[in-house]
Amino acid sequence: MMAAEKPELSRGELLKKLRAEHAQTVERTQELLKDQKRIQRDICSFIRETPKSVPEIAKEIGLPANQVLWYIASFRKYGIVVEDGMCEDYPLYRKAEEN
Amino acid sequence: MNNVKVDALVIGGGIAGMQAALDLGDQGYQVALVEKEPSIGGKMITLSKVFPTLDCCSCITTPKMSAVAHHPNIQMFTYCEVESVDQQENGFDVSVLQKPRYVNADTCTGCRLCEYACPITVPSSFDRGLGSYRTARVPFSTAVPQIAVLDIENCILCGKCEKVCPVGAIDFTQQPETFSIDTTSIVLATGFELTDLDAKNEYGAGELPNVIDPLMMERFLAPTGPYGRVLRPGDGMEPMTIAYVQCAGSRDETLGIEYCSRTCCMYAIKQSMLISGALPLAEVTIYYMDIRTFGKGYEQFYQNAKAMGVEFVRGKVAKITEDENHNPVVRVERTEEGDVVERTFDLVVLSLGMVAGDPLSKFGLTPAEDGYIKIPSVNASPCETRRPGIFVTGTAGGPMDIVDSIVTASAAASAASAYIRSKTQVGIEEREVAHV
Ligand SMILES: Cc1cc2nc3c(=O)[nH]c(=O)nc-3n(C[C@H](O)[C@H](O)[C@H](O)COP(=O)(O)OP(=O)(O)OC[C@H]3O[C@@H](n4cnc5c(N)ncnc54)[C@H](O)[C@@H]3O)c2cc1C
Repeated sequence: MMAAEKPELSRGELLKKLRAEHAQTVERTQELLKDQKRIQRDICSFIRETPKSVPEIAKEIGLPANQVLWYIASFRKYGIVVEDGMCEDYPLYRKAEEN
Repeated sequence: MNNVKVDALVIGGGIAGMQAALDLGDQGYQVALVEKEPSIGGKMITLSKVFPTLDCCSCITTPKMSAVAHHPNIQMFTYCEVESVDQQENGFDVSVLQKPRYVNADTCTGCRLCEYACPITVPSSFDRGLGSYRTARVPFSTAVPQIAVLDIENCILCGKCEKVCPVGAIDFTQQPETFSIDTTSIVLATGFELTDLDAKNEYGAGELPNVIDPLMMERFLAPTGPYGRVLRPGDGMEPMTIAYVQCAGSRDETLGIEYCSRTCCMYAIKQSMLISGALPLAEVTIYYMDIRTFGKGYEQFYQNAKAMGVEFVRGKVAKITEDENHNPVVRVERTEEGDVVERTFDLVVLSLGMVAGDPLSKFGLTPAEDGYIKIPSVNASPCETRRPGIFVTGTAGGPMDIVDSIVTASAAASAASAYIRSKTQVGIEEREVAHV
């Protein structure tokens, strides 16, 4: 419907053109992706064996607790971590089993 | 994209717009519904349960969304913005911008494989930034239409979505496209926004992580919420003491919002009851100036909350600060006791007010003093605007709850129907009632 006048470019050429147009966005999101991957790796390695609370994770990896919670919420949504018990008023999270 | 000719154009796909579209469609009129977001549903689809019945909100809203999408007389245009409204001899010529989804809407099946493959995670506006979704995503689980959208501003252009899409629907070549809708009448249902969480310095200016807005609490209480339970966003703790600060964005001259937002007392009471269900040991305190429970069954609802142990304290909250553990500290002047006290809570919800959602200038309308659409004859014709043929419904016209939004939607549809007949000289009996 929208691509009525598609330029006759190959997929590779099109992506190249888009990449040029969105160079700054791509640069920014590449940095974002690097950060997100590093944080995921750090959090997941810390909670691989023993479930931990958000403040414990925050202390270990040096990120503010509200940001850690945002990552944990995202990992829960996409099946990367699961909730596993409570410690006082804090739910504990651990890395999900890989299938 | 082809231009469209209809009897009525409904702008905004919240509960008010959906109801107006359904009423007009059921009468046999051809209707176009334009929604700026990728899904219809408005604020209502984000709520947990509704006062005063505590029915599941999604269970009421989703069938309406589906009815709109499948109605033979309604054409739905999501992810579209109205650019201009030009008066014609017998109606209006409306220019609409279709924003690119970078996904072919005709072939996408909403399978979400693109979302699972996408490597970038961004804050979800559906969860008010406290949850997340991916750059390529279906906006939320019950979105209508179930079509993915790709947020190009947060896209790395890695092409993973394109590789996994089983129907080849990802289309990076899409461009914004303008089309026009030729319509006899317009129903404005552009809804409301909350006053800003950071509007008041006295309440922490949006900087305190455990002071939240009431739509965030709706998401925590919803089964599809970001944490799967009620937690405070500062550190993931289950809050055991929760305060509501009423009139935190209404009846406040310093904000320029002198009116009452009409829903805040009831949504605070509703949420306090739902919290009591979700966290039976939690203590909820509501600080209020006066409780306004004007609707059918509302006073009883309030009395039920009191009976359940929700504490109501009459007083004006002067200031909110926080202690070293990010626990909000509320300073309140209690009018019945005649003293000023400070109390520490785990979480504070500001009962923010409602403001008009969208600038009116592109519809050729001017706002009234309160910022909402000016209704010249509010007692005689509460849905008629200054421009003949343009009607208003729901919270686009002023703060109101869902019951009143639906009532005004039917009223606006009825007024629009009379107007269409007067303009086209065609009675409903002579009209070909399409596909009905
Ligand atoms: C925290 C909270 C809890 C609540 N709980 C309850 C409750 O339990 N019971 C109850 O009765 N009421 C409740 N309410 C009130 C209820 O949310 C509203 O009455 C209702 O959602 C209003 O619906 P609406 O269609 O007028 O507006 P909205 O839901 O705001 O819908 C407007 C729609 O128009 C779209 N739009 C805006 N501008 C444009 C444009 N230019 N072009 C195209 N589309 C546009 C928006 O994207 C949106 O989809 C609550 C309110 C709050 C804040």
